[in-house]
Amino acid sequence: MSDEIMQRVQSRAMDTMKNIKDSIQCGTKHIVQTGSAGRKNVYEKLRILSDAAKYDVACTSSGVDRKGDGTGMGNCSSAGICHSFSADGRCISLLKILYTNECIFDCKYCVNRSSNDVERTSFTPEEVCSLTMEFYRRNYIEGLFLSSGILKSPDYTMEQIYATLYRLRHVCNFQGYIHVKAIPGADPRLIQMTGYLADRMSVNMELPTAESLRLLAPHKSRKNILAPMRMVQEKTKENRQEITVYRNAPRFVPAGQSTQMIIGATPETDYQILNVAEALYKKFELKRVFYSAFVPVNEDKALPALKESGPPLLREHRLYQADWLLRFYHFEAEELLDEENPNFNIFLDPKCCWALKHLDQFPVEVNRADHRMLLRVPGIGYKSASRIVKARRMGNLRFEDLKKMGVVLKRALYFLTCQGKMMYPTRMDEDYITRNLLNTKERLPEGADGMTYRQMSLFDDMNFTMQAGNSPAKGPGLHVERMG
Amino acid sequence: MWKGWDKAMKQVYICTDTMTGLGSALYDAWKESRDKEAGIELRGKVQQQLFCEYKTVVECEDKAVKIAGMIKRHLGYNAYWDICNALLSDDSAKGEAVFHAMQEARRIPDSRKIMEHLGHPDVAKVFELSRRVSNEAHRYKEFIRFRELKNGVLFSEISPRTQILTCIAEHFSNRFPLENWMICDKTHGISLVHPARDKCRLVWGVELNPEAAGAVSDAEEAYETLWRVFFESISIKERENPGLQRNMLPLRYRGDMPEFWTDRSES
Repeated sequence: MSDEIMQRVQSRAMDTMKNIKDSIQCGTKHIVQTGSAGRKNVYEKLRILSDAAKYDVACTSSGVDRKGDGTGMGNCSSAGICHSFSADGRCISLLKILYTNECIFDCKYCVNRSSNDVERTSFTPEEVCSLTMEFYRRNYIEGLFLSSGILKSPDYTMEQIYATLYRLRHVCNFQGYIHVKAIPGADPRLIQMTGYLADRMSVNMELPTAESLRLLAPHKSRKNILAPMRMVQEKTKENRQEITVYRNAPRFVPAGQSTQMIIGATPETDYQILNVAEALYKKFELKRVFYSAFVPVNEDKALPALKESGPPLLREHRLYQADWLLRFYHFEAEELLDEENPNFNIFLDPKCCWALKHLDQFPVEVNRADHRMLLRVPGIGYKSASRIVKARRMGNLRFEDLKKMGVVLKRALYFLTCQGKMMYPTRMDEDYITRNLLNTKERLPEGADGMTYRQMSLFDDMNFTMQAGNSPAKGPGLHVERMG
Repeated sequence: MWKGWDKAMKQVYICTDTMTGLGSALYDAWKESRDKEAGIELRGKVQQQLFCEYKTVVECEDKAVKIAGMIKRHLGYNAYWDICNALLSDDSAKGEAVFHAMQEARRIPDSRKIMEHLGHPDVAKVFELSRRVSNEAHRYKEFIRFRELKNGVLFSEISPRTQILTCIAEHFSNRFPLENWMICDKTHGISLVHPARDKCRLVWGVELNPEAAGAVSDAEEAYETLWRVFFESISIKERENPGLQRNMLPLRYRGDMPEFWTDRSES
């Protein structure tokens, strides 16, 4: 059995090498100069294949610091660099394209499913390389994001991707960022070989539960998705040891792996989704889990109709906020949501919600509270918390100083004291603070300027919270920020 | 005349808005008046005040190198980095803020931790200026667009508020070691020139030849169009949010970015 696989891989590898040699012999002339027929093709292909790739939300170029060695082009910076922002406000960091939009799978939510009648096309490795190199030279992009539909078979597709990456790394000598998809069901050896050429690899979870996956993506299974994920994780661990022994050993997926879940296509609650994400971070050591608000591109009886209200962007935003709390603020999924409250509040962010439910722990004294507790104060971020810890060694901090350090006082003032005093006389009362936090405009809390009366309104009852799932997202002045 | 008048007078050093100028001013100020109140102002932006004695600094590279060495030695590399960045900003009080921060560093137990002392107004100012410059430098690492000229040179024009060229030089040299490229800062009239396989250099006071800078290579237009095609098709219509786009990519950067040249693409 293993011999057979070995033979298959070897013969495929020969094919791959032949492919690469062929494309070298084609010459490295600009793709756009290969005659008028070829010219139209590249524009059309780029339009079709980037349009088909846009629903993949991962577009980060972060996680690896690599200097160029002076013999080629490119480097990587671990913070990631966004090069532009498209009309939907999402960053464009990588040249995000599909290798091909032909696909033998029939996932209900996907534009490229085999039962859809869309224009199909494929790039050649050479075209992908020229586009990447020429865009990169002009500082349009930070690297390549290569995904693909399943052409012929998972193995064949993975092989094409490998050929492209090989050419990009070894012929064009490209040292920038490459994010590549591991095709579920492809030979582990092909995935492994590709992993040595890429910086980040991802396998999309697509849907948080096995049940939904069975319903909407009949050709994918949880096992098929988790197997390559586990393989990449184990290989990365091994590679870490190799690197400690041999400093110059090749890096395997140095920027780690990521995944994506579609939000709102299936009836899972935020609590379930967040638990899946937490498990992925803890058990699979993923670098990132991305959430993608479901955009209906197909009419299908298995899919929800969302046409009027648009994609659940606010829900996606709350999930990202919670995701940040898990990764940087030492929160657990259990603390943020539970069986009784399985969805996020649409009016307040998860950290504020948590703080309001735990008012007994507040207010905290800025000059004494430990770092972990500071991180839990709404309005204090990751950076300002560490600035506070350093700056207070030099002397007591006041509210003015906090403001300069980047603390958002309009949220933090209800939860902080500086040298024993709060910023304004405020009550530690859940309703009172909630009401003030919901005043999105920066405003003094009522009573701070000596006025204790206010206009009554029929809609003053802030005790009610709406369920995120069944109401349109229209809070007072709510807007969705980018967190990615 | 009152005998102590020269001690009561505030000494103000006037210098040009360059690293050499500011370095020399800091050097003189530190040498002569590190124990008293002194100011540093930029030539052309001086606001005359009472009880101040104005003095034009003799500028030379030597002084700037010496003060840089002293800052690195006593305040550490990180503080040096912040101070350098702050001196590149567009605030006319930057020299004075740095000088006061240096004075404050002598008063705290560990001078190397001066940049953590954000409770002090001048340290906070240096921190803020440094952050402003490094943020803008980062923005330009993202948004600079090169175009390929007829002779194969990659050329870029930018109009930054602060003098960020030195902050991005290392990044682009490392990224494009085998390319001839050049970035022209139109606001300050400085250019960063990088010959292939060589170090990059700053060039002052050279007029840009618009004809030479406009003569792009044959493939250039095609790639700009391809980039626009990509830029259009990558956006999801259902999620469109121009306000967010403007937050992330302010309008002032867009003039030099081909994806926003809608009219030119059709011509």
